Amino acid sequence: MRILIVEDEPRLLRSLAKALREEGYAVDTAETGDDGLYKALNCDYDAILLDVMLPRLDGWEILAQLRRSKPTPVLMLTARDATPDRVRGLDAGADDYLVKPFDLTELLARLRALIRRAVGQPRPDLTLRDVVIDTRARTVTRSGQPVPLTAREYAILEYLALHRGAVVTRSALYEHLFDETDDTLSNLVDVHIVAIRKKLGAELIGTRRGQGYCIEP
Amino acid sequence: MKPPTFLKSIRARLVLWLAFLLVCVLTGFGITAFQLHRINRFEQIDEELEFRVATLGRELRGRMGPGRLRPPPPADWPLDAAPVRPRDRPSSPRADTPGERHPPRAFTPRGMPEGRDISLSPATLNLFDEVTTNGFYYVIWSFGGAPLKTSTNAPAQLQGPAPAEAETQVQARTRDGCREAFQLNSIGECILAGRPIAADLTALRHYAWWLAAAGSAVLALGLGSLWMLTTRAIRPVEDISAAARRIADGDLSERIRIGETDSELGRLAAVLNSTFARLEAAFSQQKQFTADASHELRTPISVIIAEAQTTLARDRSAAEYRDTVETCLDAAQQMRRLTQSLLELARFDAGQEPLDPTRFHLSERLRACIDLIRPLAAPRGITFETDLGSIETRGDPDRLCQVFTNLLTNAVHYNRDHGQVRVLARTDRNSTAISVSDSGQGIAPEDIPHLFKRFYRGDRARTNPAGRSGLGLAIAKAIVDAHGGTLDVDSTPGSGSTFTVRLPH
Repeated sequence: MRILIVEDEPRLLRSLAKALREEGYAVDTAETGDDGLYKALNCDYDAILLDVMLPRLDGWEILAQLRRSKPTPVLMLTARDATPDRVRGLDAGADDYLVKPFDLTELLARLRALIRRAVGQPRPDLTLRDVVIDTRARTVTRSGQPVPLTAREYAILEYLALHRGAVVTRSALYEHLFDETDDTLSNLVDVHIVAIRKKLGAELIGTRRGQGYCIEP
Repeated sequence: MKPPTFLKSIRARLVLWLAFLLVCVLTGFGITAFQLHRINRFEQIDEELEFRVATLGRELRGRMGPGRLRPPPPADWPLDAAPVRPRDRPSSPRADTPGERHPPRAFTPRGMPEGRDISLSPATLNLFDEVTTNGFYYVIWSFGGAPLKTSTNAPAQLQGPAPAEAETQVQARTRDGCREAFQLNSIGECILAGRPIAADLTALRHYAWWLAAAGSAVLALGLGSLWMLTTRAIRPVEDISAAARRIADGDLSERIRIGETDSELGRLAAVLNSTFARLEAAFSQQKQFTADASHELRTPISVIIAEAQTTLARDRSAAEYRDTVETCLDAAQQMRRLTQSLLELARFDAGQEPLDPTRFHLSERLRACIDLIRPLAAPRGITFETDLGSIETRGDPDRLCQVFTNLLTNAVHYNRDHGQVRVLARTDRNSTAISVSDSGQGIAPEDIPHLFKRFYRGDRARTNPAGRSGLGLAIAKAIVDAHGGTLDVDSTPGSGSTFTVRLPH
């Protein structure tokens, strides 16, 4: 999952980016509103964390412009906690609204919920035949036995599972699992797929030649 | 004993007082009117009766017998037996000896006929005509007490006045629903004329009732009017107190509606309204300030929480822990500076921050402040130009240094690389002026009015990469104001800004 964080307080931006990357997300950052809007319009993020009080272009404006063309889930972060502000945010198109200072664990949980809702998979546990993916704990069990996966492997598996039934192209996987700080080689994805198949069975992830990968529903 | 609540109302007291006054006045008035009327009435009746009695007396005297002269009075009649009327009457033909009263009858005139035949003239009889008059009747007794002549309408049981009562002047008595006047004539006969006064008494009674009714009506009218008038006058007071209560209970935006602004109550309402306006402004300023302050504090708190939670999520290297701790410390210092500034501002607001004015060397202090700031400017190649002269002035040196440091820091911070900061100090007859100019980006015209407000930063963002709060200019202004001076700004977007502090001598 690839997340964009738009926040003008650099220390907070750094903290959040670090926390999310450690959670297995690919994270892009923007310190100004212009930068944030540009990135949001040019990439399909799985979620955006948007601060309201930004220099030059504030969060409301960014949201309005984003919503004209993209349904990206947006979680607004702000120190403005009055009810009218919350209502305004939600009505303007935000999917969730979190007040600073917030608890990091709450932020992560809301983010997960946001992404689940966006892909239409409301349950936190994903079951693929004998494989169970716990998206909270980021663990995978097969027939009850825990299966260790690397962060990248888990990320790919989770993404394919959340989009089960759809064919996910390789480039989509790149976009959603690697952020701007990543230096990546294209066949890394294939390597990870092979590793997953070895650990969880070859039938789990199907290949559509010329198109991409797919987990059958 | 405490007076009942009813009496505490101004209205009730006014009405009670007026009721008391009205009752006294009306009662006195009524009684006087009644008495006057009654006396008048009786005087009238008595006058008529006396007239009749006199007429009768005159006639009797004239009819002592044809050609008969008045018999000489008996020898032992008191010589001063001329009847004296009790009251002076201008129309009386006789010259009375005033003041003398005839002693009670103690003589026995001799030679008087016991009974004689008296016939009265028609004119006299007219006076007693039953039809045209009010029932006048007459009785004439002889000396011996035997009725000589009685009018036809005389009451049946008519008693002559007792011997001791009757005198030769006219007297009146009320007897048995009749008013009678009687007199002894010169030969000892008693002439009495009377009239039933039942009708008059009834009329008087009716008059009395009528007076009472009128008085009550006036009382009721007066009290009613006063009640209405006071209600109308008091209503604005009640409106005001009700509105004030609502406002005090919470809705500070409400105002008292004023009908006529020039009356006493109108002026009161105007004063109250302006007080409420000031209260509302003060409260909203406070709310705004609290909101801003808490907002400013939330960002560093978010940083600390995010950093700490992330770092604690798994095992980290010593370097990472050090990094996190440093970030947390930074944020905490930022909060400390913020709360210090807030407290200072709050103390200035409350007037609790006393200045310590002394004479000090302004130019020296300015040079010292600039030297403090130079290290900040050096990395960006910003240079200082100064023209400070040698000025002494009066003020609180430490606080003014705070102001200058703030202005200089801003001048460096908002400057462009390799720009200049120009500091000038001038003094004249009235004041000393210190100006700090920078060659930076300038300030947009729409920001200028808000510049000295708390937490205001030009681009309306609420964070500050350099860890500074938005309170510097607000505090500077507070200090300059406390010195009785002014702090102004002049700016051209794109070329720079100039801040000028003017201090009075």
